Amino acid sequence: MMKLLRPFRWLLLIILLLLSCLWCLNTGAVALDWQLLWPCLFDQCDASAQQQILLELRLPRLLLGLVAGAGLALSGALLQNLSRNMLADPYLFGIISGAGLGATLATLLLPQYAVALPLAAFFGALLAMVLVLGFAALGGWQRLDTVILAGVAVSFLLSAVTSLLLYQSEAFAANRVIFWLMGSLARADYQALAVITPCLLVCFALGCLYRRQLDALQWSDQTAQSLGVAVLPIRLLFLLLTAALTACIVAYCGGIGFVGLMIPHLVRLLFGGQTLVLLCGSMLCGSMFLIWVDAGARTLLPEQELPLGVITAGLGSLFFLLLLSRKGQRPL
Amino acid sequence: MNLFHLSGLNFQVSIQPLLSCHNLSFRWHPHAGLQQVDLTLHAQDRLGIIGPNGAGKSTLLKLLAGLLRPASGEILLCGQLLSHYSLAEKARSLALLAQDTEQATASTVFELVELGLLPHKQLWQRTDQHDQIRISQVLTQVGLTDKATASVSSLSGGELQRAQFARVLLQGAKLLLLDEPTNHLDVQYQHQLLQSIVSTELTLIASFHDLNLAASYCNQLLLLQQGKVVAVGSPEQVLQPKLISEVFGRRCLVDSNPFDGKPRVTFAPGACND
Repeated sequence: MMKLLRPFRWLLLIILLLLSCLWCLNTGAVALDWQLLWPCLFDQCDASAQQQILLELRLPRLLLGLVAGAGLALSGALLQNLSRNMLADPYLFGIISGAGLGATLATLLLPQYAVALPLAAFFGALLAMVLVLGFAALGGWQRLDTVILAGVAVSFLLSAVTSLLLYQSEAFAANRVIFWLMGSLARADYQALAVITPCLLVCFALGCLYRRQLDALQWSDQTAQSLGVAVLPIRLLFLLLTAALTACIVAYCGGIGFVGLMIPHLVRLLFGGQTLVLLCGSMLCGSMFLIWVDAGARTLLPEQELPLGVITAGLGSLFFLLLLSRKGQRPL
Repeated sequence: MNLFHLSGLNFQVSIQPLLSCHNLSFRWHPHAGLQQVDLTLHAQDRLGIIGPNGAGKSTLLKLLAGLLRPASGEILLCGQLLSHYSLAEKARSLALLAQDTEQATASTVFELVELGLLPHKQLWQRTDQHDQIRISQVLTQVGLTDKATASVSSLSGGELQRAQFARVLLQGAKLLLLDEPTNHLDVQYQHQLLQSIVSTELTLIASFHDLNLAASYCNQLLLLQQGKVVAVGSPEQVLQPKLISEVFGRRCLVDSNPFDGKPRVTFAPGACND
């Protein structure tokens, strides 16, 4: 079956993604009319309430889901290839805990400004990134393992500060931050899209241009170097790019874990590990995965939204358990 | 220096060595390292580096490939300082096959070999029809035609080594630096790989565990012991029974290989070491 579908797998994936987009637009608390979907999106239609729901609520949310899912999966794929560590993940570099600290400070100090939260989260993520890269530079850059270790250290440090602040604060503020950390696309607007999309496109374009270099880095630093790859500058460039992309996504969507870790693994199983294939596949699968998860989050419980992080983490652990059980038959 | 005889007159033409290094040193430990290595290599020379474990064979190869920065001394490639080459120029002039334990398990043999194109391609250039043909040519040369689409993780150690060698060949460099190229290989492939280098115009520097392979396929040997060059010269000059017994700490006998007349070293087995 898989062999038969092989030549068409890209086409299949794209068609599946488009169908998913349409289905997700139509699903939600208010059921919309299928026949009105197209005219309401691109034209004037009679049902103005439906058009408003579509254009102001569902479309930005869908688009944000697409770019956020694609961005997280792309970052994960790039980091896994760069570090030759299959457990690398955009959140391993302290970005989520940095954003968490920023969000906490914004909620506690400036509760009246709604803009402050994503902004503070972004700067918190940036702070974490600077700390991680600083520690890694002290450690000598020998391997990306140094960066990962520095990331773990910074993560714990910033989480400790966040926990302390939340412990001291009032329950309502703590609730808000914790809920935000679990991830949601409810904050979607066109401004978020305008920030994340350029980051995503730059990352993807550079990833495609440097695909051979990234392929060589999958082997060893020595091999890459002997093939003429400037290992350190390339690693630093992509580290910064992925960190910036993830920071933007986290600032608007909160912490959506497991997408960056799980999707590249899935794509490697389905499409192979070459950089170009991995990047394209990860973006397509990542965006499809996230809009489905968001559709689930909006509809699973009546009149209540589930946090995205809860669903992605649940599905993620299930996926890795499945992988573990079949690893005996086929090496990853 | 080469001496040409032309219509009765003697012309002395100096031919630039392909690679030379002077006074090359490197420390991998405060009390250990390579000390003052000098060598000169002309085009189509084949230099075998031999010596016990930890003598500095791999380090010397990495220094010559420009992967390590020497503590002192300089390396000249085609008359130019190696440190003045750009990364891509260096990769087009010399190719290194290192001893790696890591491998990208998700890639196929074809994708591994394709890496050899890297120094020849601009960022936006694709792998075209011509490149595909060259890749299948080198795959044929190492006998892996039927494994092109196989995953790297399904290969045996020897097959992986041959795939890596195909990658090095595709890199198209005139100078090959091979670290233990015959590792993991069956006897037939050991000879096939080395013969494929001898039959071309490539220049080779390789480290060897098997002294007899080194003697058969190299015209120069360099014997290292604890980072020092103990002997350098033709296999006949270097493979002296007394010297080899001293360096490797085991009694040995040197006669000549009945097939090619090159020196053949036989070490005393088991307890016969006195």
